[in-house]
Amino acid sequence: MFDLAAQNLLSPAILFFALGLAAGLLRSDLSVPETAAKTLSLYLMLAIGFKGGVEAARAGLSADFATAAAAGVILSLAIPVIAFYALKTISTLDRPTAAATAAHYGSVSVVTFAAGSDFLRASGVDFGGYMVAVVALMETPAILVALMLAQGGTAKRQGMQGALLREVALNGSVVLLIGAFAIGAITGERGMQRLDLFVNPLFQGVLTLFLLDMGLVAARRLREARALTAPLVAFGLLMPLVSCACAVGISLALGVRQEDAAMLAILAASASYIAVPAAMRIALPQADPGVYLTLSLGITFPFNLTIGIPLYQAVTAMLLG
Amino acid sequence: MTPTTRKKLEIIIEAPLLGRVEALLGASGARGWSVFASLAGHSSHGDWRSDGLSDAQDKRLVIAVVSDAAAQAALEALTGFFQDYPGVVYVSDVTVLRGEKF
Repeated sequence: MFDLAAQNLLSPAILFFALGLAAGLLRSDLSVPETAAKTLSLYLMLAIGFKGGVEAARAGLSADFATAAAAGVILSLAIPVIAFYALKTISTLDRPTAAATAAHYGSVSVVTFAAGSDFLRASGVDFGGYMVAVVALMETPAILVALMLAQGGTAKRQGMQGALLREVALNGSVVLLIGAFAIGAITGERGMQRLDLFVNPLFQGVLTLFLLDMGLVAARRLREARALTAPLVAFGLLMPLVSCACAVGISLALGVRQEDAAMLAILAASASYIAVPAAMRIALPQADPGVYLTLSLGITFPFNLTIGIPLYQAVTAMLLG
Repeated sequence: MTPTTRKKLEIIIEAPLLGRVEALLGASGARGWSVFASLAGHSSHGDWRSDGLSDAQDKRLVIAVVSDAAAQAALEALTGFFQDYPGVVYVSDVTVLRGEKF
């Protein structure tokens, strides 16, 4: 396991993330132009979705997909509840901020999925291509649960759920991810022959450049963090472990394939920072984004990227192998 | 063409709320507006900067030049909007040509 962790820590992508983080903390003027960062993000969604679709077409529809999907949705419903009550117990966060933060931890991070895919493939863990569809299924349920947890003072927003679902379901990254998955599934091997050069050899380089930017963004978040307290930092580091434990438990209970369970644990442990923050600004504007964005981007994402991903893979291999 | 006085509304809101503010302007009788992206800034909550990842805290500047009646209606609607959401609005008198277009 330590070999795997060291291998992960010393991979170019993680080292470039560390470079971005260090440069940001030292207030270097290094920056990735905003439009370039958006383009890199679009590329990652397209490549991940398309490759997942081709792999899903190759494997065909299976009971394994249904099992992993059910496990993913259950996790996305359960994790926000655990996160919310944990936050209410260990911190003095107000109800809306605790609920919004819980939504981030119940939903998923597509970039963590990308980094996790890269790590698992390099480690020979052959998870199903349909896990891309599981990512999409895990985006939304946590938001609805969080809104229910936040209710009490926000009754007039109860009618917003339709608009909010639309906001999340039609979020650009989700649309591209699922669209590319569908196109990959429709075109299969023939499509892969045409896009192979674009989606495979270039992937590592683009992920590396994107993670450099993520390091810079995470550093900026940490520099500007004013609302973080020691219990909240502890939450940002421990909640992913709790979520991983939940993923392992549900995988054992439902009989999820070990390889899929490794990816499910990575997804469960990740926290959203693209789709959910925007939804929370609409649904719970009184919640403090300085808390949920900093925790998700500044604490949990770096933890997952460096230590979490190899740890979750080792735990699932040990308990489900 | 005779110069005419109209009201200029400058509204700064968070990016995810843009659609709501545009709907509100349309319902108030505004016949046109322009939207501008943001780079960075500072408020009572500290610094903010567009990061290209999530637009949750990105800002948008909406500029509309409207009649007095539309400005009044928009300000009333924005008063309710700002009870729930963060943002600011500035109103000023501007001189325009082709006043019938606003």
